[in-house]
Amino acid sequence: MRNHFEEQLEKLNVELMEMGALCEQAIENTYKILDNADIEMIKDTRKKEALIDHKEREIENLCFELLLRQQPVARDLRQVSAALKMVTDMERIGDQASDIAEIVETVGALENSVAQPLEDMANHTIKMVKGSVNAYVKADLDLSKEVQKYDDVIDQNFVDIRKNLIDVIVKNPENGELAMDLLMIAKYYERIGDHACNIAEWVEFSITGQQKEEDE
Amino acid sequence: MKQRIFRSTGILIAVAVLFTFLLTSVVYYQDYSKEIKSGVQVEAEYLKKVLEETGDSYLTQDIGNLTQNRLTLIDMDGTVLFDSIEEPADMENHSDRPEFIEARKTGTGIENRLSATLNENTYYYALLLKNGEVIRVACTSRSIFATLTSSFTMIILILIIVLSLALVVIRYRSIKLIEPINQIDLEHPLENDVYEELAPLLRRLDIQNNQIEEQLRQIKQNHEEYLAITENMKDGMIITNKSVVLGINKAATELFGVDVKDCLHKNILTVSRNVIIKESLDMAIAGHSTEKILEMNGRVLQILANPVSIEAGHSGAVLLILDITEKQQAEAMRREFSANVSHELKTPLMSISGYAELMMNRMVKDTDIPEFSSRIYDEANRLRTLVEDIIKLSRLDEADGQLAFETVDLLSITQDVSSCLQLQAKKRDIQMTIEGKKTEMFGVRQVLYEMIFNLCDNAIKYNKDHGQIYIKISSTRSTITWKIMDTGIGIEKEHQDRIFERFYRVDKSHSRETGGTGLGLSIVKHGAMLHKGNIKVESEIGEGTKISIEFQKNSENQ
Repeated sequence: MRNHFEEQLEKLNVELMEMGALCEQAIENTYKILDNADIEMIKDTRKKEALIDHKEREIENLCFELLLRQQPVARDLRQVSAALKMVTDMERIGDQASDIAEIVETVGALENSVAQPLEDMANHTIKMVKGSVNAYVKADLDLSKEVQKYDDVIDQNFVDIRKNLIDVIVKNPENGELAMDLLMIAKYYERIGDHACNIAEWVEFSITGQQKEEDE
Repeated sequence: MKQRIFRSTGILIAVAVLFTFLLTSVVYYQDYSKEIKSGVQVEAEYLKKVLEETGDSYLTQDIGNLTQNRLTLIDMDGTVLFDSIEEPADMENHSDRPEFIEARKTGTGIENRLSATLNENTYYYALLLKNGEVIRVACTSRSIFATLTSSFTMIILILIIVLSLALVVIRYRSIKLIEPINQIDLEHPLENDVYEELAPLLRRLDIQNNQIEEQLRQIKQNHEEYLAITENMKDGMIITNKSVVLGINKAATELFGVDVKDCLHKNILTVSRNVIIKESLDMAIAGHSTEKILEMNGRVLQILANPVSIEAGHSGAVLLILDITEKQQAEAMRREFSANVSHELKTPLMSISGYAELMMNRMVKDTDIPEFSSRIYDEANRLRTLVEDIIKLSRLDEADGQLAFETVDLLSITQDVSSCLQLQAKKRDIQMTIEGKKTEMFGVRQVLYEMIFNLCDNAIKYNKDHGQIYIKISSTRSTITWKIMDTGIGIEKEHQDRIFERFYRVDKSHSRETGGTGLGLSIVKHGAMLHKGNIKVESEIGEGTKISIEFQKNSENQ
């Protein structure tokens, strides 16, 4: 009976890692899409999003089954409940990656000068998502805290890009539409950063049992 | 074991006790009834004598009370005349009793009657008197069953006592018996001194111990061999069961930046979540070998995944991760080289054939012919030096060990080169200074000459007008250093690593102004390699370049 429980917990762990990997791949795709608007990549990102959604449901079901049938306590309970919260954030990351792909699809390949700041931001976001999944895989408290701090970098990125785009609109009002689209992309990245930050917080919770105080 | 011993001895004891009891009872009972019978007979004979002498009046109640036996006097017709227990009047006619009939017939009647209800056995002995009456003496004793049943409780009691005693003794004995067996030293079975019945077991234990030891040693050795191989190999290796990591070597952990303890016996995802690794592994588990290229952290990795079949099922996989970054770079360099060679060869050829075609078609005025011929001559020269350089290089590449080593003087070679290039240097007013004394080393004269020539040639070509070239030959106890410094244009940092590549030009336009084939420094590098020398480049843009070659004095060449 207990053995079965351990097995299921391990399965949960593996599924979460797989879902994390899918998120990483989706967001890495967006980085490439920004550069070349490759149709295949955009399609792949959509596929990844569907896979992520599917994984979310699977993990949720597994969590509920564990909660109902095994009634875990203490650390195990924390792991299961953290997993339940994490999949929501991961699913959002998948959605937003797919949204970015969609915007690029309508806008087309971006000019290098325009894409550069976005690509930098994408790079930072990829680092965060990777960091948060790594923190989960290694159960690394320090890494999870590092990821949480890194969120500020992305917030700053967003502010800078926004400022730049306002300049663009002021100088070339005819580029307004494109500027708005780019702002959306930046905002999505910023949100992905937040979700990665959330995941890192849940990792911290599942290790220490302490939930981060909302101090912002 | 105790239980089993107790059960069998218990049964044995019970059976023994019961049999003894039964046999003794039967024997004693028979003796006892014989005794009774003879008593009864004696008494009857006695009474017969008395009655025949004194008549019936002898039999009174008092006589009857004296004996335990029952005395009955029966008349000829069966009427009871006297009875020592009951009133004769109340008793029925005894003419049908078998002992009476028999006594009447033969004089003596014996009868044994068993009363099933009372469990009593009555023995009758009748004698015929002279007057025709019959005297009968009867003795009632308990039947054999009654005797047995009466002593049965006793027997049970004895049984219980004996069995409990047996239980205690058996327990004690079996503990004593087992004790030495429990204390057998299983590590060294032959050194024990226990029951001789156990000797074969101990011998077998010893043999098995040895086998186990041998197997353990072999397993350990295999494991050590495996570790020695995997831990020391440059390539990463991961062994999995399904997708659980069973083993990962040091190179793999370094490549993926993980700790062994973080991923051992865990899912492969803890090592890397890269989709290519996952795909390779899945394919391998499904039973297909795959080979994939993965780019990670600026390194190019080749992933070789092979299924591991155990009992016809593919349950595991071995992943080999080869770092092929250098290989790929070398490949790229080779491709670049062939492209360069064809380009370098083609350009002068095109010029030559172009000029020749113009002349062939008489499109060149006679006055221009010398000009055209000199161009053709120049290009042909260029082509020749290029081919010569390529031949030199390929000789250095191929003819390792086939070149004639001899003792040569570096200073004299340098002076030769310097005088050879004097004219060229003078044209640009460049001053060459050579410092050092006669320094002999073991080497190939031709190659050393080419090396120094190329370096000096470059120092002149890439110098400024009115510049300086300073050559110094020095030696320590173990090394010889040949150094050339110029005051030329210098080489940018980013190019310094690459200038020794074939056809690599800092000036990408392959300008012909300076001439040269782009192979000069390549020849220097190969020459240095041939002499086990070490080339160092220091350069500042606009300041000049310092190139030094350090040879080992006591190298294998000597």
